[in-house]
Amino acid sequence: MLKINDLHISVGDKEIVKGLSLEIKPGETHAIMGLNGAGKSTLAATIAGRDDYDVTSGSIEFEGKDLLELEPHERVGEGLFLGFQYPVEIPGVSNLNFLRTALNSIRKYRGLDEMSAAEFMKLVREKAKALNMDPEMLKRFVNVGFSGGEKKRNEMVQMAVLDPKLAILDETDSGLDIDALKTVAEGINAQRRDDTAILLITHYQRLLSYVQPDVVHVMIDGRIVKSGGKELALELEEKGYADVA
Amino acid sequence: MQDDLTTGYSAQSAALKGTVPGADALRAKAMTDFGAQGFPHAKAEDWRYSDLKALRAGVYAPVDAPKVAPEVPAAMGESAARFVFVNGRYAEDLSDLGDLWQAASIRPIANHFSSSSARTDELVRGKDGIALLNTALLRDGMVISVPAGVEIDDPVEIVHIMTEAAGQAAHLRHVIELGEGAKLTVLERFIGDDSAYWQNIILQARVAEGASFSHFRLQEEGLGAVHTAKVYVNVDASGQYHVMNMTMGAKMARFEAHVRMLGEEADATVDGVALTGTGQVHDTLTHVDHVVPFATSDQIFRTVADARGKTAFAGKVTVAKDAQKTAADQSFKALVFDRTAEANAKPELEIFADDVKCSHGATIGELDAKAIFYLTSRGIDPVTARRMLVEAFTAGALERVTVDSIRDAMMERIGTWMSSRADRTVAEVQEA
Repeated sequence: MLKINDLHISVGDKEIVKGLSLEIKPGETHAIMGLNGAGKSTLAATIAGRDDYDVTSGSIEFEGKDLLELEPHERVGEGLFLGFQYPVEIPGVSNLNFLRTALNSIRKYRGLDEMSAAEFMKLVREKAKALNMDPEMLKRFVNVGFSGGEKKRNEMVQMAVLDPKLAILDETDSGLDIDALKTVAEGINAQRRDDTAILLITHYQRLLSYVQPDVVHVMIDGRIVKSGGKELALELEEKGYADVA
Repeated sequence: MQDDLTTGYSAQSAALKGTVPGADALRAKAMTDFGAQGFPHAKAEDWRYSDLKALRAGVYAPVDAPKVAPEVPAAMGESAARFVFVNGRYAEDLSDLGDLWQAASIRPIANHFSSSSARTDELVRGKDGIALLNTALLRDGMVISVPAGVEIDDPVEIVHIMTEAAGQAAHLRHVIELGEGAKLTVLERFIGDDSAYWQNIILQARVAEGASFSHFRLQEEGLGAVHTAKVYVNVDASGQYHVMNMTMGAKMARFEAHVRMLGEEADATVDGVALTGTGQVHDTLTHVDHVVPFATSDQIFRTVADARGKTAFAGKVTVAKDAQKTAADQSFKALVFDRTAEANAKPELEIFADDVKCSHGATIGELDAKAIFYLTSRGIDPVTARRMLVEAFTAGALERVTVDSIRDAMMERIGTWMSSRADRTVAEVQEA
């Protein structure tokens, strides 16, 4: 589904990702673990198409398409989703209007008709309920006045409604108490299917107790230095990054 | 130059003698005053951002009727009546009095001065050259009087059309009078072709005790036009005045709202949205004058300027010594699309009472790149994302428009305006 080959990313003159390769197949859940500054978030944002980052060499293929040739919204149309570490507040735009515009934009990209308002409301209510989100929050402005946990939960509701093929979740576990963490983990697990894939980006092993990955990668200084099964996460937690790498 | 202007406009004013019974003395006085002071100086504090070059450059001729009858736009939803002015003159055949005449008094301003000349011009305070010329050359306009207790539910639409009017000026005056507890909504629309005309209009209104006047303006003049508009409103006890001015057209547009709070618990909402394209100047001046205690006023202005567009807002609130317990808020926010766009803000509070709640805020910024990325990262294309953010930015003022059809039409124009910018923005990005 996703094939990254020898990817180099710079911000200004500084190289952040220094030759990273990764392949994710349908049905798989991968986790990239690493310390702050390892380049994890840069990688996630680049896959999603943020233009502050320069890909100096290498390639990203998604379902056989050159992702780097596509605009951010086109990547979403192809089936990509980025869960933000810091979801953005947008005063004046309601959650419902935002989600409905997003969903219909994706449907339009795929040549599908718009979803009716009634059908959409049913879908959103159902997904919000599954993630324990107060339906009243759907009417509020996007992330405005939301707590850290509420913002992450909102990201999960968006993911559930937009139903991506590949979800990249950047530090979705940070700043969550244990109850919120469990809810978010349930949301992620609900998205795991034979035809979807998940890429978790995280500091800690904590989330991985609830969402068990098939493959764990250790990222240090812009490279994946080690890959293994889910036990690698526990090993990292015990021994620290220096010893494992 | 001033001599030429005075000579030219004096001749025009003299030629109007006898056309409006009772107005000749008023016109003559205004003409004399115009001769003495001319147009506002470019360096005068209140006029720093308006570009009056076109007005100073020469005399605008009186308007002619167009050779080809203009197309009149469809009404925005239900209306109680529709008055159409073409090139500054009332066009009876294009207008529709509806049922309004049964509930209210409607008459041309030409019949107004003889009956109540003493009251006609007194609301027009602080007369500058532009207001003086409006009086000196006054000929047409509408007077609507709603008797006490009468509520007109549907909006009255006044459409102003300018066409084939290069080098010509229309000087219109509307008068709105609301009796105690009366209710009226007026939508003023301004459209025109690309000829370099001048639309100079004054609307004056009295809102009696407990009356409610909602006043919506949609300014879509042609891009060669100069549009100068002044609104003077007196609000009595428990009266309400709400104005929302949406300004998009004209090369140079100036809107002034002068609102006096004359009775306790009077309430004024003075809002505006400007969509300012390349090379346009949109200048707004408001003055809310709290004369008595316990009155409230609230202002929300949002301006959006594209490359090389210029917006300005000067918002003055005065609170007299006796106007205790006044609550006056004012919020101005400007968006500029790039570094060649310009936004100017001058909030001004003059407070002589000591027990008041007054606030003001002004911010100027660009569209939030993080928000655009967040929206596009959910599948929304960049043009739609920018439009959504501009709609959200202007929502504070637009949400207060209580007539759905008018609010929707205004919202729709934001979408159209943003879409018309999309190609250029993309082209410019590629160039960069």
